Amino acid sequence: MNRERFVLHLNVADFAVAVERVVDISLRGKPVIVAPLQAARAAVHDMSNEAYNDGVRKGMLLRQATRLCRSAQLLPPRFDLYQKAMAAFVNEARQYSPVLEPGIGDGHLFLDITGTHRLIGTAPDVGWQLRKRVRKNLGIDPIWSVGVNKLVAKVATRVVKPLGEYIVGPGEEESFLAPLPLLLLPGVQSRERARLREFNIKHIGQLAAVEKKQLYTVFGTRAETLYNISRGKDDQLVQPQENQSPVIWREHAIPGDSADRRLIEGVVAALSVRIGYALRDAGMVGKRLVLRLDYIDGGNAIRQVSLRRGISDDFTLQSMSLLVLKRAWGRRARIRRCRLSCERLHRKSPQLSLFPERPDSDRKKENVLSALDRVRKKFGADSVRFGSQVPLH
Amino acid sequence: MEWSGGLIHCFLLKHIELDDVAPGVRGAETATNDNMQSLKKISVPSANGHGNCEVMVGTCGYSYLEWVDSGFYPPETKSSEMLGLYGGCFPIVELNYTWYQMARGDALSRMADAAPPHLLFSAKLTRTITHERVEDWREQVTLYRHGIASLKKRLLSILVQLPPDFDRTINNRCFLAELLDRLHGLPVAVEFRHRSWAVDEVFSELERRAVSLVTVDEPDLPGLFPALDVVTNPALFYVRFHGRNIQGWRSGNMQKKFDYDYGEGELQQWCERYLSSMVHRSDRGIIFFNNHVRSQAPRNARLLSSLIAENKERLVV
Repeated sequence: MNRERFVLHLNVADFAVAVERVVDISLRGKPVIVAPLQAARAAVHDMSNEAYNDGVRKGMLLRQATRLCRSAQLLPPRFDLYQKAMAAFVNEARQYSPVLEPGIGDGHLFLDITGTHRLIGTAPDVGWQLRKRVRKNLGIDPIWSVGVNKLVAKVATRVVKPLGEYIVGPGEEESFLAPLPLLLLPGVQSRERARLREFNIKHIGQLAAVEKKQLYTVFGTRAETLYNISRGKDDQLVQPQENQSPVIWREHAIPGDSADRRLIEGVVAALSVRIGYALRDAGMVGKRLVLRLDYIDGGNAIRQVSLRRGISDDFTLQSMSLLVLKRAWGRRARIRRCRLSCERLHRKSPQLSLFPERPDSDRKKENVLSALDRVRKKFGADSVRFGSQVPLH
Repeated sequence: MEWSGGLIHCFLLKHIELDDVAPGVRGAETATNDNMQSLKKISVPSANGHGNCEVMVGTCGYSYLEWVDSGFYPPETKSSEMLGLYGGCFPIVELNYTWYQMARGDALSRMADAAPPHLLFSAKLTRTITHERVEDWREQVTLYRHGIASLKKRLLSILVQLPPDFDRTINNRCFLAELLDRLHGLPVAVEFRHRSWAVDEVFSELERRAVSLVTVDEPDLPGLFPALDVVTNPALFYVRFHGRNIQGWRSGNMQKKFDYDYGEGELQQWCERYLSSMVHRSDRGIIFFNNHVRSQAPRNARLLSSLIAENKERLVV
């Protein structure tokens, strides 16, 4: 049995802009910046290559970005739209391999095509075919690369960004990586890069030339990882969606960033209500809530709260999400983005309780939620809100 | 005229010499021992005073995992070992990955250094110049020239394959003329897929430019460029066997399109009809098999090599 692996990585550069350009073709070829526009201190969510060439970067203040690229078309982010586009992208890729691992609405996709050669041809041909198919059916143009593992394939797409392809043949990993700057190597933390710079190590090949025991002296337990990745060795499997536990998540970029407690609590409450609506719509309940807060300075905090039984009602979800917010929010820096996920999902049991009827208050809550859902279904998710929620745009 | 049975042959194999190539890598038994003829360059003295016509047979691409499954490469062969094993069987290979991505000097140089020293190359022109022409295709040609230069004298030809919808319009003619201008100084072969290019004016122009017209063997379907024995460049004739799978040809699946196994009779007929006349008018010829599915390409390439070599005794003028 030949155990050589072939991993395909597809990456739609500037995914949000690419999707916006499919919706509005007049945006093509023009500089575009996607950012929440309501506030003066909004930050750039994504930008086109034209804007990038003018110096605009993700996370940059919109005010600064528009100074650098005055002709840029400004658009508010539409996360639901990007999620739909991502689902369509994954659907196209599914024709070529059942083992695929999509990113979360970011235009990244790994496919393990090991062993498919007799059915659909060589790895480069699959990459080319898939890109052609995505271009034709979705109007977006992904970069693609082939490598023997996820690490090499990912570096290869970084090398050719924003457009193109790269085939790294088996056995070529080290020679491919050697001349590249360390910044392109996933898995090297920024403080490790800074430390390596102190040793005048700036390229991956220079890192690969360092012996493992020398790395141990400086990086301790991280030495093994650095040693392997600098040589293009990576055992991570492509995790098919089916193997990943299902997650329902919603996120919101806060216009102008904020550290206002009422506002942030209102955002988190609104996210939990949206998740509740999605859960009930799918007939699911969740047993874990995870909140990620992105701060204005690039830092982030992730905390979670687990429950004994699955929940899907807005009331419990709101109180649990506020609890997890309390755990996560420990800094005074302004918050740029909140992302709330509901994990450990399972179907809601249809079985009725054997024991005493639920209290009236529960039944009443259920009726209220059922009525709210009907309204939302008809008039949109934000058509009716709790007082604790702030409107999400 | 017939190929066998003692009748008059049009295939003028006055005598065929098998030049020993550099020892190179012999590789595993499966990829070498069946037929050593295929490893040789076959010299066929031509009748028109050009001297010997050196014929080399190989395949389009060499890195196919299914060639391990189907027994051409030994079990457990890794991709990085394939070129060495391939070089133990054939004197030339057509690089098709340069069609998928731009030729990169460093990668090609590493590949050539690792290959057996006798192995020669033909390289396909990148798709961003031919099939999916980009706005800056002129810069792409410059990049390609730069990348391919690392193969040095081991590069026998650049294959310019044009897509099926590339017909003979004014715009396409202008494009092709400019492309050939930009490839000037390099050995170039052009493969047309559209029938409209099968006219004498095209052949004359290719001849004037010393560009080889690729002789194709493919399914007999309407609109496809016909199989011709036209030699437009006496320095090199270039043949590609795509297989004759009519059902699979337009399936969009390479595994169906190139799934064809040539029989001995078919190859014999082809030699009679085409090869004999081409060797007479050329100094050198290269023949590639593109029907890679289930190792049919190397099997057929070996068969054709042995057919040519076996007939060295049948010298008929």
